[in-house]
Amino acid sequence: MRGARARNLLFEVLFPPETTDWLSVLRLGLGLQVIFVSMSLRSDWNHLFASNGAGLISRDLLEAISSFETPLSPRLGWFVAAGNALGFDEQTMLSLGWLALLCSGCLLLIGVFSRPAAITAWLLHLCAVNSGGLLSYGMDNFTTIGLFYLMLSPLPDRLSLDARLWRPRNKDPQIVGFFRRVLQFHVCVIYFFGGVAKCIGPGWWDGSSLWRALTRPPFNVISPETIVSWKMLLPFLGISVCILETGYPLFIWLRRTRLIWLLSVLAMHISIALTMGMYLFAFIMIVLNLAAFGPDFSFRLERIVPDWLKKGFA
Amino acid sequence: MSRKKVYFVCFLLHFLLIIVVCCRDTFSVLGHGYTIFPPSLEGNWREAEDLTSAALGQHLAVSNPLRQGLAAYLNGAGIDAGYGFFAPNVPSNYKLVFEVHYSDGKIEYELPHVGGAGTGLRIATLLDYVGQTHYDPLRELLLKMLAYSTWQSHPNAVMIRAVFGFVTLPNVDDFQAGQKESYEFLYAYDFRFREDAPEVHNP
Repeated sequence: MRGARARNLLFEVLFPPETTDWLSVLRLGLGLQVIFVSMSLRSDWNHLFASNGAGLISRDLLEAISSFETPLSPRLGWFVAAGNALGFDEQTMLSLGWLALLCSGCLLLIGVFSRPAAITAWLLHLCAVNSGGLLSYGMDNFTTIGLFYLMLSPLPDRLSLDARLWRPRNKDPQIVGFFRRVLQFHVCVIYFFGGVAKCIGPGWWDGSSLWRALTRPPFNVISPETIVSWKMLLPFLGISVCILETGYPLFIWLRRTRLIWLLSVLAMHISIALTMGMYLFAFIMIVLNLAAFGPDFSFRLERIVPDWLKKGFA
Repeated sequence: MSRKKVYFVCFLLHFLLIIVVCCRDTFSVLGHGYTIFPPSLEGNWREAEDLTSAALGQHLAVSNPLRQGLAAYLNGAGIDAGYGFFAPNVPSNYKLVFEVHYSDGKIEYELPHVGGAGTGLRIATLLDYVGQTHYDPLRELLLKMLAYSTWQSHPNAVMIRAVFGFVTLPNVDDFQAGQKESYEFLYAYDFRFREDAPEVHNP
């Protein structure tokens, strides 16, 4: 009896009925992110991914390094090889790959062919990340995470052009809610472990890590002289980052702290963009936060858990 | 099995992998020291890291299909790494300078350059990897490729010397006292890309 009740509760938590509004935020945000990433690499794309010494670092070497651990993971070399078999040269295939990535971002933004666009964006982005393994950083990981969930989610969403053009059958609200729950839990895990890793370093408690992060090239957007004039704030800000991140999985779910926590985390990412020049990193984190916890605050979890605690153990 | 149960099982497996990867990376950070925990625990953290690595199939042979399948899934889902950015401490940044030598003894200095600012961040990641790799031939190969890329802009150069090191930044108080960043030399490699390159005459 109690087991059945617990199972029902678990399924209520994992499958809350939701509209596709959060999915619209994720699709629009990731569409923009893919466009921004493509544009940021526009002038360097062929130079970064060329092989045989024609590029910055030979793509063959980077792919060999990444394929040692993940030989089954897709990479740009596969597209280039396929193009070569059809008579296209490497530069043409690389340019086509970049163009396809940009187009998939544009299609995501307007919501046309949402799922094929999401799959294409995920695949090409993953190929670029794997082919430039040593050149990728945290932002790429978060973009992959977002595209992975978007690709699997019940697209198209209500606001997409697809929904207006093809009028697809209604989505099961509980399945829509399940995918949002997965994203919510994942964002919580990201912040918790990010926060814990900072908390165990002494530098985040006295502000010295924040000082180093802000003055370390290439993140030194603000002059050290300016930062020094605010040095009294550094320990406070360092501790705030630790508390914000580690406390995220708890305080984002509590009604009283939810809005302030979400706004604080968004403010933290905007600050990272402005003070460290990590615009793409900040943008993807803002998109993931808004999709997970942004469009509405009607989380059933807070209503279910207290009920369960009252009834289940009465 | 109902559709929801299938989703539930996938959810469990997916999050199990996420948690194990995060724990592995956290244990790795702890095992490397420089944390608030006593150094005597570092051996335990390394054992825990070993255990979590084993759970992810990383102790299996590289050709093992289970290991390859797990790695492909982790990579595809973007969950193959933890989230400890700038943690537990912010590391020093590595710096690469190319000395471009000409046959008349002239020397020019170059940094690895790319077109966009977005790519500049990626170069910093690459230099971190070069600095942290313990495999000398790989480090030399990576630097040679970067040097070759620079040589293409200076085809008349007879030699390119790649000088690699890291920059130590002063803390706030030292900076206020007037101390500047210091450069620590790590490696230097000489690369010649022209077969007819004459000897370099350094002044």
